Amino acid sequence: MALVFLEDVTKVYHIGDQEIRALNGISLSIDAGEFVAIIGPSGSGKSTLMHLLGCLDTPSAGKMEICGHDVTKSNSDKLSEIRNREIGFVFQSFNLLPKLNVLENIEVPMIYTGASSAARRKRSEELVERVGLQDRRLNRPTQLSGGQCQRVAIARALVNDPKIVFGDEPTGNLDSSTGQMILGMFRELHESGRTVVLVTHDPAIAAVTHRVIEIKDGKIERQYDPRKSRS
Amino acid sequence: MNILISFENGFREILSHKFRSGLSMLGIVLGVSSLIAMMAITSGIERGSRVFMEQMGGLELVRVVDQEISNENLEFWNLSPGRTLEDARAIRESSSYISHVSPELVEGLPVSSGTETMRVRVTGAWPDYMGVSTNELAAGRFLTDLDESLANRAVVIGDTIAKTMWPGMEPDQMIGQTLFIQQVPFEVVGVFILYMGETERKAASNDKKSPPTETRGSTSRGSWDPFRSKNESVIIPFSSMFYEFKSGAFPEDSLDTIRLNDFNIRVADLGNFRLALDEVRRIMTQTHREVDDFGFDTREDWFDKMEKNIRATRISGGLIAVISLLVGGIGITNIMLASITERVREIGIRRAVGAKARDIFFQILIESISIALMGGLVGVVCGLGLIHLITVVAPSDNEPFITIASVILSVTFAAVAGIVSGIYPAVQASRLDPIQALRYE
Repeated sequence: MALVFLEDVTKVYHIGDQEIRALNGISLSIDAGEFVAIIGPSGSGKSTLMHLLGCLDTPSAGKMEICGHDVTKSNSDKLSEIRNREIGFVFQSFNLLPKLNVLENIEVPMIYTGASSAARRKRSEELVERVGLQDRRLNRPTQLSGGQCQRVAIARALVNDPKIVFGDEPTGNLDSSTGQMILGMFRELHESGRTVVLVTHDPAIAAVTHRVIEIKDGKIERQYDPRKSRS
Repeated sequence: MNILISFENGFREILSHKFRSGLSMLGIVLGVSSLIAMMAITSGIERGSRVFMEQMGGLELVRVVDQEISNENLEFWNLSPGRTLEDARAIRESSSYISHVSPELVEGLPVSSGTETMRVRVTGAWPDYMGVSTNELAAGRFLTDLDESLANRAVVIGDTIAKTMWPGMEPDQMIGQTLFIQQVPFEVVGVFILYMGETERKAASNDKKSPPTETRGSTSRGSWDPFRSKNESVIIPFSSMFYEFKSGAFPEDSLDTIRLNDFNIRVADLGNFRLALDEVRRIMTQTHREVDDFGFDTREDWFDKMEKNIRATRISGGLIAVISLLVGGIGITNIMLASITERVREIGIRRAVGAKARDIFFQILIESISIALMGGLVGVVCGLGLIHLITVVAPSDNEPFITIASVILSVTFAAVAGIVSGIYPAVQASRLDPIQALRYE
C-alpha cells in the first residue's frame, strides 16, 4: 500500500505578475517501509515537493494522498493533524525552540495531541535515551553541539510515532563525521520499519538510500536504486 | 492544547522579558489599583454615612420645615400661624403613624458653671426629643412631662459641654450640678454619652491609656465633625425655654403661638412612611388653615443626595480606571505584536510539528491574558498599599475598606483587558504561513 501517492501534481506560485511553476506534473508513489532520497540542484523544486509531502502546503492541481488522507481536500486544521500524527520532520537548521530544554523540545508535538504531561515526560525520557542524550536532557539547544541538536530534532520527529520521517538536508549544517552519524540514525529508523524520505543535493547521501528520485525543473528526471547502479 | 501548559508558557515568556513585560503591565497595574482604591473609598463613604445616618436618627426621622407658599395661596399667608406647638399637639393626638413629635425652640445663649463659660445653642424641647433621634444617656435621666408642664429649670447636656464645664468630673457626679444659662440657674439632670464616628471609636478602643474624653474635648482636628452639634447640645424643657428666654421679645407671643425653630417627627414604621407623611400633611393643613407653608425634609432626600454623590465619585473614578485599563490594553497589544515578530520562527516550528492555527491563537491570547492578570494582581497589591497610604495620610471618618467583590471585579476587568488586547495579535500570529515562518530569519 502506498503511503505517499501523487498523480500529476502541479504547484504554481504567483510572485507579482510572474507565475512560477515550481512543480510541473509530478507523479510518484512511496510504499510503507521505503528508504527514499529526493535529490536535485537548488531551484529544481525539491523543496517545494518536500513541503507538499510534509503537508506544509497543498498542490495547485493534481491528486495527492498521504497515509490515506486526501491532502487536496484537507483544510488547514486537518493538515496540522496529519503533520502532527503521521509525519516527523527533521530540518537542516534543527529548528528547536531556544527557550525550551531538550526534554521540552522533544515534547512539543505531543502537546498538540492533548497528551498529559506525565505521558509526555515518559515518552520524551524514552526518546532522549534512544538518541543518547540522557545527560543533556535539561540543557537548552544553545548549549548543545550541532549533532546533538539534530539528535534532539530526530527524537522530536519520532515522539508521536509517525509513519513517515522527512529529513530536509538533515546533514547540511553538520561536519561530515557527525553527518554520517545522523545518517546512520536515519538508516536505523528505516531498518526498524519506518518510511524515511531524505531531501538532499548531495549524491553521497542519496547513495545510502534504496531509491533515488531526481528532480529537475519541477519534473521527475529519473528514478533509480543506487544499490543496483553501483553493482 | 492544554490550557495549563499555555499559561505556563505564557508566564515563562513574560519572565524571559521581565522589564518589557513589566512596562507593558504598568497601565493595567495603574487601572486596577485606582479601581480598587476608588471602590474602597466609596464603600467607606457609604458605610460611614450609613453609620452617621443611624446615629442621627435614621430614615424614620422627618424634619418639618417652613416652605415658600405657592402662588395661589400667596394672599392668605397671614392666615397661617406657621409651625407652632399647636401642630405638635395635633399630630401627637391624631396621628397613629407618628411615634415621636419634637417641637424645638433654639437660642444661642451663654452657659456657665461658675468657673467656665461658653456660648452655645440651647434647645427647648419636649421629652420626645430623646426618642425622635438616637440619643443615649451616660448618667441621670432625660426631661419628663412633669418638667415640661411645670417649666422646671432642668437641663440635659452633651458630652463636650459637660467636659468643658466640669473638667475631670465623671458624668455621675455632674448630676445635680447647677448650670447657669444666661445667669438663670438650671439643675443638670442628665448627661448624654459621647457621640463619635467609626474612626474615633476605633482610636478610643485601641488607645485605652488616654481615654477618648481627654483626647477629644472641644478641640477638633480641623476637620468637620458631624457629631459636634450633638455633643454640644444643651436641652431644657420647651416651656422653660419660652418662659425664661423667649417671651420678652414679642408680647403677643404665647407658648402656643410662638413659631418653632425646629420641628422633628419620627415615623413609627418605615413601611408606612408615605401614609404617615400624608396624614401629617392633612393634620397640618388644618392647623395652618389650608395655607401650604410647610414641607418635609426627609432623610430619604438626604440619602438620595448622598447616593448621587457616591455615584458621581464612582463614575469619575471608574472613568480614570477604564482609561488606564484601555491604555494598558493598548500597551499589551503593542508588546504582543512586537513579541510575535520576534517569534515568527517559533510559530513556524510549532505549526510544522502539528500546531493548528487556533493553538497558536490561544497561545498568544493566553500570553496576553497572563500579562494582564499579573498586572491585575500587582494592581490589587498596589491598590491595597494606596488605600493604606490614604488612611495614614488623610484619615477620615469614612475609612475606606476593601470588599472581595471589588477585588474580583478589578481582576476581571484586567482579564477582559487582556483578552481584548490579545485578540488582534493572536489572529495575526495564527494567520502566519508555516513555510514562510520557517524560512524567516
